[in-house]
Amino acid sequence: MGTGSQLGLLCVVMHVPAEKLWKSVTSVSNAGAKKGRGKGAGRIRIRDLNRGQVIGVGKVNMLWPGLSAPVIRGRELLKQQRLPDDPERMEKLIKLRDSMTKFRRLKLSTIERGWSGTRMPGRSIGPPDPVADEEFTGFDTKVLQLRSLLIMKGTLGRTRNYQAMVVTGNGQGLAGFGLGRAKEAPAALRKAKNRAGKKLMHFDIYNGHTIFHDFFTAFGKTKIYVEKKNEGFGLSCHRAIKEICQAIGIKDLRAKVEGSHNLQHIVKAFFIGLLQQRTHQQLAEEKKLHLVEYKDENEYYPTVVASPSVVRTKDEIPKDETLDFIQYVMNDRVVLKKKKFPRFYETMPHYNIYLKKYERYRNHEKIRLNLKIENGEVKSFLNYKYPEENDVKET
Amino acid sequence: MSLHKFIHKNVVLQYNHFQLLAISSRKLSIIPSVYDGEQDPGPKFFSSGVQALLKRLTRPDFSKVFRKRTNSNRPVLKTPEYKFLTNEELQSEFSKANKTAARLLQMPPVVKVHQPINEVLSKDPALVGYDNTKYLFTDITFGVPNEDRLIVERDPDGTLQMCDHDTRKRLNQGRKVREPMMFADEEKLNGLLEAEKYEYILDRACIQYEPDELSYQKVTSITYQHVDMKTNYKLLRSTRHFGPLAFYLTWHQSMDNLMLELLQTGVIREAVLLMGLRQAIHEDIAFASDLNALVHQVLPMPVQASKPDSLSEVDIQLDNQCIDCVVKYIAKNSAMKSQQELALQGFREDYQQMVELSRGLRKAHGEA
Repeated sequence: MGTGSQLGLLCVVMHVPAEKLWKSVTSVSNAGAKKGRGKGAGRIRIRDLNRGQVIGVGKVNMLWPGLSAPVIRGRELLKQQRLPDDPERMEKLIKLRDSMTKFRRLKLSTIERGWSGTRMPGRSIGPPDPVADEEFTGFDTKVLQLRSLLIMKGTLGRTRNYQAMVVTGNGQGLAGFGLGRAKEAPAALRKAKNRAGKKLMHFDIYNGHTIFHDFFTAFGKTKIYVEKKNEGFGLSCHRAIKEICQAIGIKDLRAKVEGSHNLQHIVKAFFIGLLQQRTHQQLAEEKKLHLVEYKDENEYYPTVVASPSVVRTKDEIPKDETLDFIQYVMNDRVVLKKKKFPRFYETMPHYNIYLKKYERYRNHEKIRLNLKIENGEVKSFLNYKYPEENDVKET
Repeated sequence: MSLHKFIHKNVVLQYNHFQLLAISSRKLSIIPSVYDGEQDPGPKFFSSGVQALLKRLTRPDFSKVFRKRTNSNRPVLKTPEYKFLTNEELQSEFSKANKTAARLLQMPPVVKVHQPINEVLSKDPALVGYDNTKYLFTDITFGVPNEDRLIVERDPDGTLQMCDHDTRKRLNQGRKVREPMMFADEEKLNGLLEAEKYEYILDRACIQYEPDELSYQKVTSITYQHVDMKTNYKLLRSTRHFGPLAFYLTWHQSMDNLMLELLQTGVIREAVLLMGLRQAIHEDIAFASDLNALVHQVLPMPVQASKPDSLSEVDIQLDNQCIDCVVKYIAKNSAMKSQQELALQGFREDYQQMVELSRGLRKAHGEA
């Protein structure tokens, strides 16, 4: 390990066992460990220096019959002899040693990974286990939360428990969530998954893509405002709500969480909100009025989506009744829509100057595109008259 | 290098040769016929009787009129809106929607092809050789409609005259100066016709051309003939182009294929309306007074989008009158006698069954 000049050091090394030497290198003080030292990427690990070394093979490449080679090869009796040295032997050994020391993160494919890194939340853990030969075909379970809880016990002191919250669904209206606790994380996940499978709920999906109407829902200090959206809008909401929507089969929706962002409360609030939805027919019956849908892409043609059995006349409607659809389904709760402030540069004088200057060029982008479509390049109209003058080309 | 160039040139030449062959083999065989005769179709087309007939023949189906349209005005979809409405409010909303439908179904006008403008305002020999380019003068007053705008040109020989249509179109702006490829290249138009994109062609023609332009009438004529040839009338029904199509076919005495389609699909009342259209345009039907009386009876009736479930006695009487009328038409005016007779025979058999069924039902209910 050392050279001749470091004889003193060598002597010390020779008299201390490897175990102690390694400890002196890798140990972290108690205070340091509390701060999180000696963990993760910069951590020094104990290396097995014997790895890759074989008895009978050393720096000098000798052939030892009976140790590193057979005594008899064919009919010949092998003799001790020195073979040519392998110059790469040491390099290979060092490479092998180094390969153990590097800190490696567990890699997941982009399809498998969840919300972040290799952590469990957001990852899929397959369908719940079959109950009495009833298989959960088409179901998939997503982990929403996995955390460790510490409990004090009289005899054992502080013990660690794992708690998991998952949502399972078939993407066609059936979904449920479950909470599981166990000593180990996989067991907690399994418990939660199977509990979710036993608590399935059915939700109607409007036109196979969204909810029936906007709604407000709350659980504890968590408040959620949910908006119905058009086809192709996507899911613009908290990641847990997004996973729930995907499990149910809702494709377009916007949700805003206000107050506490406690994940379990968000999940419970959202499920309660979905369950408290009223179908269009129910709304029409409650109001005793036709419910009419207007879509921009259909030139706002009035489509009657639900009609009650008895329709009220105008005189029968009290003056102070809520007739606005959104206000009615939100139970007279008004969403605060904050006024958008102008961008910081829009109030500056230079922005007005820019706008005035840009006025002249405002259509140029379109013209360039059209010229490229028609001529394959940006060409002046004079080119048709004077084709020989096309040396100066704009690109 | 030179060899490479040579090969490249040769390959290109061969390729071009091949392409030329391909074009000539797939050449369009439809000869466009435009409204360029003695008679102007405008007054007939705009007369209220013909307009009513054409609108009724369009057979507007609101699910198609108000179908989902995604175009450049609508880059993203919007969230639908909902309202609680009483019966009266709903009715007023429907009447509003009817007005929108009328706007969406407004037919492109059918007029005569325009004549070239040759109006010399003055000749000033003193200006000969003043400049070697033309001068164009136009009225840029705000609010002057493009067709009435004063646009004149001063030629290098000193003549001051009104501009011709193509110059007027260029100066009036608003449309693409260059003709879109789908109209300029016959092969491309042919491809669109084969793909049955009739509505797209006709809409684009409306955007690019004026209705009295020769190019517009040629494109529409080719499209109408293609629709007629392939019996694809249902693709243009409920669109604003069905009226001009029916008018075109009737004007050029080739509406018998449309009549056959009406008989085959069992829309006997519309067959009578089509006869009424022919009478209004050509006045060549012998039993005109009977026909006109029948047309007045049929026009206020609701559109038959699908086959009715049961027939009342009034319906049966009206339909029988229609059948008699069609029989007379086939005997005297039709150009496709045998096929139309066969179709009518088929319709009659179906109709008889329906009549018996609905009478039997009424008897079973004890109504008559």
